[in-house]
Amino acid sequence: MLVKDYMTKHPPMAEPKMSVVEVQRQMSENNVRYLPVVGDGKRLLGLITPQSMLIDPRRMASLNVWDITRLLSDLKVKDIMIKIRSVITIDPDTPIEQAAQVMVENRVGCLPVVQEGIVVGVITETDLLDHLSKMMSGNMSGVRVTIRMPMIKGELAKLVGVIAQAGWGIDAMGGALCVKDAKKWDAVVKIRASKEEVVAALSAISSQEIIDVREV
Amino acid sequence: MRGPREVPILQIEQLAVAYATRHGDVAAVRDVSFEIHRAQTFGIVGESGCGKSTVAFGMVNFLGRNGRITGGRILFQGQDLVKRSELELRKLRGDRIAMVYQDPMQALNPAMTLGDQMAEVLIVHRSMKRSAAMERCKQMLERVYMPDPASVMRRYPHQISGGQQQRIVIAMALLNDPALLIMDEPTTALDVTVEAAVLDLINDLQNEFDTAIMYISHNLGVIARVSDEIGVMYAGEMVERADVKDIFARPSHPYTLGLLRCIPRLDTTKRSTTLQPIRGRVPSPTALPPGCIFEPRCPFARPACSHQPIPMREIQPGHWARCLYAEEILEHKDDLSDDMVNIIIGVAPKTDNGGPILRVKEAKTYYPVASKQIIGGQKQYVKAVDNVSMEAMPGRTLGIVGESGCGKSTLVKTIIGLEKLSGGEIEFMGMDISTPVSKRSEALIKDLQMVFQNPDSTLNPSFSVGYQIARPLRRFKTVPRNQVRDEVIRLLNMMRLGENYYGRLPRQLSGGEKQRVAIARAIAAQPKLVLCDEPVSALDVSVQAAVLNLLLEIQQQLGTTMVFIAHDLSVVRFFCDHLAVMYLGQIAEIGPAEAIYLPPYHPYTEALLSAVPIPDPSAEQKHIRLGGSVPSALNPPTGCRFHTRCPRRAMLPDGGAICEREDPPAQFDTDQHRIYCHIPLEELRKMEAVVTIEKEGPHVG
Amino acid sequence: MSALSGGTKTAEKRPSRLRRLWGGFSIILESRVGTIGLCIIVFWVLVAIFAPLLAPRDPLSQDSDAINKGSSEQYLLGTDQLGRDILSRLIFGTRTILVLAPLSVLASVTVGTILGLTAGYFGGLVDEVVMRLLDAIMAFPTILLYLIIIAAIGPSAVNVVIAITFVGTPGIARLVRSLTLDIRTRDYIRAAQTRGEHPLYIMFVEILPNVRGPLIIDALLRVGYAIFAIGTLGFLGLGLPPPTPDWGGMVAEARKFIWTAPLNVLWPILAITSLVVGLNLFADGLREETTRYQ
Repeated sequence: MLVKDYMTKHPPMAEPKMSVVEVQRQMSENNVRYLPVVGDGKRLLGLITPQSMLIDPRRMASLNVWDITRLLSDLKVKDIMIKIRSVITIDPDTPIEQAAQVMVENRVGCLPVVQEGIVVGVITETDLLDHLSKMMSGNMSGVRVTIRMPMIKGELAKLVGVIAQAGWGIDAMGGALCVKDAKKWDAVVKIRASKEEVVAALSAISSQEIIDVREV
Repeated sequence: MRGPREVPILQIEQLAVAYATRHGDVAAVRDVSFEIHRAQTFGIVGESGCGKSTVAFGMVNFLGRNGRITGGRILFQGQDLVKRSELELRKLRGDRIAMVYQDPMQALNPAMTLGDQMAEVLIVHRSMKRSAAMERCKQMLERVYMPDPASVMRRYPHQISGGQQQRIVIAMALLNDPALLIMDEPTTALDVTVEAAVLDLINDLQNEFDTAIMYISHNLGVIARVSDEIGVMYAGEMVERADVKDIFARPSHPYTLGLLRCIPRLDTTKRSTTLQPIRGRVPSPTALPPGCIFEPRCPFARPACSHQPIPMREIQPGHWARCLYAEEILEHKDDLSDDMVNIIIGVAPKTDNGGPILRVKEAKTYYPVASKQIIGGQKQYVKAVDNVSMEAMPGRTLGIVGESGCGKSTLVKTIIGLEKLSGGEIEFMGMDISTPVSKRSEALIKDLQMVFQNPDSTLNPSFSVGYQIARPLRRFKTVPRNQVRDEVIRLLNMMRLGENYYGRLPRQLSGGEKQRVAIARAIAAQPKLVLCDEPVSALDVSVQAAVLNLLLEIQQQLGTTMVFIAHDLSVVRFFCDHLAVMYLGQIAEIGPAEAIYLPPYHPYTEALLSAVPIPDPSAEQKHIRLGGSVPSALNPPTGCRFHTRCPRRAMLPDGGAICEREDPPAQFDTDQHRIYCHIPLEELRKMEAVVTIEKEGPHVG
Repeated sequence: MSALSGGTKTAEKRPSRLRRLWGGFSIILESRVGTIGLCIIVFWVLVAIFAPLLAPRDPLSQDSDAINKGSSEQYLLGTDQLGRDILSRLIFGTRTILVLAPLSVLASVTVGTILGLTAGYFGGLVDEVVMRLLDAIMAFPTILLYLIIIAAIGPSAVNVVIAITFVGTPGIARLVRSLTLDIRTRDYIRAAQTRGEHPLYIMFVEILPNVRGPLIIDALLRVGYAIFAIGTLGFLGLGLPPPTPDWGGMVAEARKFIWTAPLNVLWPILAITSLVVGLNLFADGLREETTRYQ
């Protein structure tokens, strides 16, 4: 579960000399919102984001319609891209959660994946969401239970033990610190069984509490 | 693979390419559209001259000085390549599009070590440090399963085998992690076992690198093995495009159907089916028919076909064909033309009367090699043929198969007397013919003739067809002098060439026609035995079928015995009654053709069969790959020559130590079927059949 | 062709020969360089053929009143040191050179082809002996070789031809040998061998027609060199004995009076140069067009 497993390899790329109009077309053709800008040998030079496409209204105010057209057609990728020093990149061997953290901290939606200065892929929010969806086996049906448990060693083992005893397999599993109570932990498990059986089996664990159960 | 929102890496829309010639522009490629997604292989298949390579070259604008794109779009990740400048394209070629050609030596610099030229890619393109670049190259070589990469990198291109050169080229292409890899017949020059290994490699790498591949080949079997989707090209147009399984199960263009019907398959013989060649020839790009380009050769053509060009249309989701009656094509798949029916009936086996017409006994052909030491030193020999024994029955065909360098050509040349026999005996109709051709009697020479491999060099370019066929007639006085011309015309008619070919010069003929003239020349003097050295391997499949049919007809009519060399196991299976499998100058297995293709196998036969590309994606093949390369015939391995690569050696006690020590004994499965192997026959009999083909497939043989 | 069937062998072949000849001819006309070359050659050949009609006077008659005179109405290109008409001498000189040069090349092509075919086809010891002998000849500087030969056998038209043949043979033999080595491996030669054909048949019937193309081009270039060689020999006084009109000899004689009558040197030089250039252009055009079709 590293960046290189989830990134898009061979992303479409732009070159600094390309016109903005062309790049816009390329982005819509490829159905992407971010384009790494590369030089010779796919060396990263910058990044184009939806924001780079926005044109500063203050600059436009004094122009008439012809000037605007000319301005747009003369505009090159290198004029609007985020320059390399401000682009946040990531190594293909980074764990995927670390990539998510970098994106959240910096409030960016796309990280060019770079190895020795060369673009080997890009990872975007969509890729992370894809990862999340796969982690929770979003496309499989079953019973999805959320259980709140105290943060004590062995609690998770209890839960797994009960599931194992019932002879079920775990299709997907995830967990996070409880948002409201820092001493509790929320676990989500996906099991292929009937809802009633699952509730009956899991209620037997006295220290844990079923928060939510649903068939998906 | 991603969801439907995924945009193709390459999208070609109505591409048209023309070459400027003296007589104006010639449209080499017209209206070709397809797309390739990431981690997918799109196979383009077609006979020579159909424009498949032009499409590939057009992509990166390698069309040469007189070629140019005259229409359409090539979208590479949303960028249109057609309007790009030379400089931009060159950058793309280096960074994001890579090409692998048929001849690896074209891509390798003979004067640089392999390591240096691989590293150069990284040093120049990515300004990497030399040591880091070398390290990366070594990793890449390991990824393409190159044995001992460190030492390979210190060698020069000519010091490694063709298969390994192609591996290096593929590794070089992947160094830049291209989004699109264009492969133009990358395995055509390789032996079948090496080819199988390279194809495996391509599949593995594709999954790992997420690369989109455009794979061009004339070989339907290879295409079936590597592709996800296939486009069939004919005379510059794409005539059918569909998923690989679909195209083989439901060919919907008459040309595709024709191609499938004219290749022999591993499960067919001349007694069970016939090959159906496609009549006529490919139209020249300067004189295309006004309507459907295939109409003049199409057996199902109707008046509407010749009115206007036929557009590509989607007959089923994802299955496109350029035919007005695509839906009806499949109903006709079993139709046989009348002359074909005759062939089947005629191939009924003749009874063997008497002994073999040709008997080779422990034949040896050695070439002396100059010693490396200046003074003295022991004289060394290349043992091209070593202790080969075989017989050919009158009126039958004996096939010899094996990879290049196995000595099959040398053996045939020794029989005909072009090479000197170094030991053993060759007997023909009871007479000793161990002498070179210059010392043989005229009668003997007349009875032994040969058909050569290369159609372009088999005829003397300076003389007319008539003269060349007449020459043996005059020389051996087969017919009286004043009837020579009539006899030549009779032979031409027999070759289905017609009288008007009499005065033509070889350069006015196509490859298949040249080969027919060569056959006519060989049989003109009515020989008893014709030796065929790969007579069809340089021909396109549709032409190949016609030539094979012709040879069959000759054999029926004249009762000629044939020795037939080929490397294509499907062709020999179809054509031959008996078969000898050769490896490194020796026979591994010999017997009736049917017996060779079923267990018990010699381990080498087994590996060969498992490597044959089968033009049927539903066929199941065991996965056996040979390691290493063929050892040098200068210094062949001791004992069994196959022991260095034998995958079955472990079946013997103590890892097959005996294989290194002793020559393998001949084991008789039946009295005609011999296997030279140390593994006991009972063990060999237990092996499963390598190839299983669904008998009730939708195909036609 | 079929309309002619039943005719004799020659009758069958004639139309195709003619057509082939015309085919070869039209190929030359497609190349501009070749056409120019051809025009120059044709011009000189016509001059040689119609020399007696074209020449205003006898090339040998001397006019003691007009010695080393420049051009005038009477003598279009002036006269030489003996009062002979330069134009007439040039015109008659064409005959000498256009006979001797092709003749000597023909001779060296014949000898060279036989040697080259033999060495190339048989290989081995035959090849070694023949080629080393020819190498020995090639090792000599050509001028020196001409001098030695002419000095040994005396200057005369025949001996000039012999000398040029001798010097030209090794080059042709080498060319033919290398072509033969290549052709020898073709399948049609193997087919002839498996028919038990005699080596002479294979060499002269199967191989020779296929070395024809490059050989003709090489021979054309060699005619140019031979013209130079004849000029050189004439200039050195080893060519044709005087008073035969000979371009090389004319240059040599006029050279002595270069200060008094400078143009007298120019005319023969122009003649030699134009003919050689014409031949080279023609050969180039031929090569260009024939290789384009292969």
